[in-house]
Amino acid sequence: MSIAAHAAILAGAVALLVRALSAEPLAVTIFGGWPTGIGVGFAARLPGAVLVVVAALIAFAAALYAVADIGARRRAGGYDALSLAMLAAVNGAFLTTDLFNLYVWFELALVAALGLITLDRREAQIGGALRYAAFAMLGATAILAGIALLYGVTGTLDLATLGRLLRTTPPSVATAAAAALLLGGLALKSGLFPFHQWLPSSYAAAPVTAAAVFAGLLTKMGFYALAVVLAGLWGGTTLLLPLGLIAAATMVLAALSALTQTDMRRLLGYHVAAQVGYMAAGLATGTAQGVTAAVFYMIHSMIVQANLFLGIGAIRRATGSWNLAHTGGMIRSNPLFAFLFAVPMLSLAGIPPLSGFWAKLLVVRAGLDAAPWLAVAALLSALITITSVAILWSEACWKSLRGRRVRRVPPAMLAGMGVLSAATLAIGLMPEPVLRVARLSAAAIARMGGGA
Amino acid sequence: MLMLLVLALIAACLVPLVARVVGKGAGLIVAVVPFALLGAFVAFASIVERGWVRSEGWRWAPSLGLDLTFRLDGFSFLFCLLITGIGGLVTIYSGGYLTDKPRHERSRFLTLILLFMVAMLGTVLAENMLLMILFWEATSVLSFLLIGFDSRSPRSRRAAIMALQVTAGGGLALIAATAMIGQVLGTYSMAEAVRRGPELLASNWGAPIVACIMIAAFTKSAQFPFHFWLPNAMQAPTPASAYLHSATMVKLGIYLLARFEPVIAGTAWGRNTLIIVACITMLVAALQALRAESFKSALAYSTIASLGILVLLVGLDGPAASVAMIGFLLAHALYKAALFFCAGSVLHATGTGTLRALGGLRRTLPFTALACTLASLSMAGIPPFLGFISKEFLFEAQLESSWELAPLAVAVLVNAVMVGVAGVITLRPFFLAPQSEVRIEHGESFSLVAPPLLLALAGLVISLEPDWITRVAIRPAVAAVFGRPVAVDVAVWHGPTPMLALSAVVVAIGAAIVIWWRPLHVVLRRHAPIEQFGLERLWERSVRATLRLSAGLTARVEHGDLSGYLATAIAGFVTLVVWALWQAGAPLRLPGDDPVRLAEAAVALVGVAGALAAARARNLLAAMIAVGLTGFAVAITFMLNGAPDLSITQFTVEALIVVLLTALLLVVPLDAPTTRERSRRVGHMAIAASFAAVMFVVMLDMAGATNATPAADWFGRMSYVAGKGHNVVNVILVDFRGFDTLGETSVIAVAALLGASLLHARTRPDPVAARSVHFSFHAASRPLFWLLLAASVVILWRGHDQPGGGFVGGLVAALAFAVLSLARGVGEAARALRSSPVMLVAIGLGLAVASGLPSMIGGAPFLTHLWWEPGGGLPKLGTTILFDLGVYAVVLGAVLTFLFGLQREAAR
Amino acid sequence: MTILYALTAAAIMGAALYMILSRNMIRILLGLALLSTGVNLMIFLAGDFSSRQPPLIREGQQVLDEAADPLAQALILTAIVIGFALTVVLATIVMRGWRATGSLDVRRPDAPEQPDDPELRGPDAD
Repeated sequence: MSIAAHAAILAGAVALLVRALSAEPLAVTIFGGWPTGIGVGFAARLPGAVLVVVAALIAFAAALYAVADIGARRRAGGYDALSLAMLAAVNGAFLTTDLFNLYVWFELALVAALGLITLDRREAQIGGALRYAAFAMLGATAILAGIALLYGVTGTLDLATLGRLLRTTPPSVATAAAAALLLGGLALKSGLFPFHQWLPSSYAAAPVTAAAVFAGLLTKMGFYALAVVLAGLWGGTTLLLPLGLIAAATMVLAALSALTQTDMRRLLGYHVAAQVGYMAAGLATGTAQGVTAAVFYMIHSMIVQANLFLGIGAIRRATGSWNLAHTGGMIRSNPLFAFLFAVPMLSLAGIPPLSGFWAKLLVVRAGLDAAPWLAVAALLSALITITSVAILWSEACWKSLRGRRVRRVPPAMLAGMGVLSAATLAIGLMPEPVLRVARLSAAAIARMGGGA
Repeated sequence: MLMLLVLALIAACLVPLVARVVGKGAGLIVAVVPFALLGAFVAFASIVERGWVRSEGWRWAPSLGLDLTFRLDGFSFLFCLLITGIGGLVTIYSGGYLTDKPRHERSRFLTLILLFMVAMLGTVLAENMLLMILFWEATSVLSFLLIGFDSRSPRSRRAAIMALQVTAGGGLALIAATAMIGQVLGTYSMAEAVRRGPELLASNWGAPIVACIMIAAFTKSAQFPFHFWLPNAMQAPTPASAYLHSATMVKLGIYLLARFEPVIAGTAWGRNTLIIVACITMLVAALQALRAESFKSALAYSTIASLGILVLLVGLDGPAASVAMIGFLLAHALYKAALFFCAGSVLHATGTGTLRALGGLRRTLPFTALACTLASLSMAGIPPFLGFISKEFLFEAQLESSWELAPLAVAVLVNAVMVGVAGVITLRPFFLAPQSEVRIEHGESFSLVAPPLLLALAGLVISLEPDWITRVAIRPAVAAVFGRPVAVDVAVWHGPTPMLALSAVVVAIGAAIVIWWRPLHVVLRRHAPIEQFGLERLWERSVRATLRLSAGLTARVEHGDLSGYLATAIAGFVTLVVWALWQAGAPLRLPGDDPVRLAEAAVALVGVAGALAAARARNLLAAMIAVGLTGFAVAITFMLNGAPDLSITQFTVEALIVVLLTALLLVVPLDAPTTRERSRRVGHMAIAASFAAVMFVVMLDMAGATNATPAADWFGRMSYVAGKGHNVVNVILVDFRGFDTLGETSVIAVAALLGASLLHARTRPDPVAARSVHFSFHAASRPLFWLLLAASVVILWRGHDQPGGGFVGGLVAALAFAVLSLARGVGEAARALRSSPVMLVAIGLGLAVASGLPSMIGGAPFLTHLWWEPGGGLPKLGTTILFDLGVYAVVLGAVLTFLFGLQREAAR
Repeated sequence: MTILYALTAAAIMGAALYMILSRNMIRILLGLALLSTGVNLMIFLAGDFSSRQPPLIREGQQVLDEAADPLAQALILTAIVIGFALTVVLATIVMRGWRATGSLDVRRPDAPEQPDDPELRGPDAD
């Protein structure tokens, strides 16, 4: 039933995207039928509409995978309801036209994520949840304070109206501080350095299917909001240098941290952070090209990160351990798995023709134009990432596992991974449509303040 | 050409099927694919020999600048012949070499080899540079997979990772170079890039582009200081070493340099860098080749030296250099692949690769010995082999070029070492007597013998009958590299020339090396400091340092102390805000004149006092009360400033927090001594105070801004007219911004779900013993419960017009249950509810959502509320009431979930 | 008065942050509750602050007279309830943490490492 529901959501999301791409006047629904700027609405505009599709795809794959990973006890603990609530929250954030509404969806996602993290009530989960909760509430406070400042100065919460006002009026103390607070709060939600410490431990604590959904959706939701706020509201001209520094530090340092992790979940947790760094680098260029790169990167990374978490869950199932030192032999016992896992791994490493290569290329290109040091940091991080991926492959797939038999990966897990691997391959082989959508998204974000 | 590549790719994917069915003869069958491709390429010969170029192109992703464009000229044609020809022999050889391996491993190996062949062909045929990167990176990844093919061995895995690090790092440099070229020229066409080289060099990116291309080439072609990965890569099965690590892949760097030679030559330092790097590489590799103990590593170092020679030839100017480069490329590919095959056969037959332990194999492996002899003669540059001709070209190029004699001296020395190595690897295993008996595990087979013999004979045949290959491959390749046709005269005998004299010197020194190899070898090995030459050590050390850095960084950043993380985050926020303020440089606005009212000021000060007391309190109960005090003070502030709704809500929330947290505080120790050292406390105080100070300033400015709130005015005007409510706040909540409220209601509902899951007792709890409460409280609790419940309903009902609404109503109702549970225990309170709290949440959420649905039938958006006004004194009815009722139920259910759960948990 | 309120909100936030930086879970919990109170006051300041009349349309009238900003109040109401929900959720987590470790120190329930148990492999294993 859960799978059918997710398939239906996916179909709806695709319909929405088609509408977003075709409708010349913006497809907006203001709930309650009130005029724009008064009520809260959903708009089928880019990039939200395409991200909804990606989110639905990830949720669908996770639902397939969950057949083998989520048992009766976890379902009784509310797994289905919590994960659907999370999907709803993420979709809400992608579609909303209102800044305060965005905040509400963040809180819904937070509570749902906390529920998923603590599903088994183990000590590590409690610790992870506590960390995540404290961080997220602090971040939410910063976001809320930023929203309050904007409301206090402009008297509106509608994104389009805000964008128009903020771009036409000179910066004031309050609006500058609002931008900084929103940047800080949303950077925290996206897992950017130095606000990322919650990420590895809370992702490591959650059941792996949930962690995959987190990796795909949670940080990207934060980053989506960051892009909308900085590039949309302020027209991408404010706070570029700090954002660039944050992005460079995240790319390099998070990738570096991943290098010596032995717990696969923490290892990938750091990569999640590092990848958000790339998106932030795109955003920090302040150009349309950069925003395009960021959106493309987001689409690619959501799918790949979720898939990687699904993959390590399968490794754990087959070898009985999360610890790299105690895994191995996957290529001999589960060749199909090794192939399906190789796709997101190579994509993460940025090997052509997978999606990650085009994404990195776009970021590097955007960086060369605006801030070459960002491109250098991106390439440095790419080298570290390749090493880390090679180590992961060598340990989990090549090394032989002593004393224990490697089990078969259940077909449901392979099916879930297959869906996402196919998507990664498709983006890699046909980057053109995704790039076009990313371009349109960048234009839509840039247009947010002006006119439509 | 695309068709050929696609067909080859499909064939590679079909290999597993074939290899599983066929078994041992798979190599011979699979070899059909490369040979068919070879045939197909030879068919292009008529185009290439006229100096024409065959191009193909399709669109792929034009907005990325990525096109499927291929280009076959003389240079790529030569590569294609080598790739497919040697590829065919490698597949045949692999079939014989991997006889011991299980069937699926053999099929995997053959698949990888064929995939690699496709990647190589793609790299040399691609015209679009992005397309070339695609294939280039594919060769790196496949090389990684082949080096680590024997994946159980830690050494192979280590070697594979090292090779990938180096070559993928070079790949990143190539990506950088390509991105920069695209940035300058707006196109990714390689021909364009070379043609418009001066434009590239004139731009800001000129030097970085050339440097990045060089790095990419040096890593791939194992040049100093990146050469160390290649000897380690010998962990790959020998057929892979022969194919990837000597004949083809490592020549891609040369390919790239040769293609970009005009651009490199355009810089002042380009040629010099190439020649210096090449000379260092040659010397280091020659030295290491003398120190090498195993057959394969001796070959590996001599390969590095040969690659150095090729780089040197790219660096030299003049047509002779191009001729020499092409000639040596061909000769080296032929003899080195043959020698690797021989080394593999010896390894396969004896199981040992150490030269010293081998001997006398000519009797057991006669054909291998023959092939090895022929190939070695070519390597040593003995006439009439192809190696001799190419060496003549090399010396001619050096003499003709405008360079000093130093490179020539290096070349002579290195060639002498090559002679020595060639002698040793032939004489030692095959012809000299063994020191101890050599055990033979496998004999020769057709698959093992034919490939090396064919290659070795090719080296002889070409030099004796050079016409066809010169016309078809060498001359067009030289023309493609040099840029215009060059007369090429491939012949063994040119009469007495300076080159011949140099050759004689080389052979003489080489012979001396062969004779005194043993003492030389021993002396060199004994000198450990030479190890320092090994950049491998340096690399290892830097990798280890990086790992240490990583571990240190993680330990420092992820210290496990939440307090430190949060301090960093808050400090980060403050920094960002301060930076933004400094950057904006806007003047601070102050709020207008606004007299201080005494009562309100007192209330506010109570709030501050409560907050400070809470921060200072050592006792948790005291802290909770202090926090509550602040909450109440803020509630009163709301009341005094025209916000009755907020005020009641805040009051109720504070009361409920006290009730709920009391359940928690009942089980934990209340006395909480400070957990922070003094210095830490001071630091934290500074961080918190700086945040507060910044926020204070910012709030002043916000309040000082001219406050035009168009939306708020609109609400005031439309609330009654459109929303049918007098209480504007409530109308906003249930109607104008009903969607926010729905989201918030879902937050509460999900929180309830979480609470139910976390607080659900796995074991049935003991019946809660009634706590002793004052009898008057016990007696009063029932009436109080009903009173509060009734009040909550009233608050809910009148919310639309008067202060109140679903939230407050739900909270007050929860308070009613709280009273009951405090006085009479959880059990009784739960019974009074007559339903499970989570069920109440579900029903409430359903109601709230359903209230927005009816209007959708009429085509209006979700949450458009409908009204029914019966008139005649009867109250008006709207779907908003349903919505508010839903909110009421969700809030009540959620609070009770936590209330009952926490109290039960506390009572355990 | 506005300045005084701004000072109050800032002071509450500062004290709240100081509590959040503690290592005692309950203090963090109380600090977060206090923080949301402070932010709510800040939103209140963001609204139109000129009138002290509650935003209720008088009986018989169609439009609102001069009154306090109703939108800010609606936002605060939402924020209060969300803050309350999160505080309670956090309290539950703290309760679980206390039951699991018998400690209120945030350094105790350690998220990163956990022992591998090869026997637990079915669904729900980890």
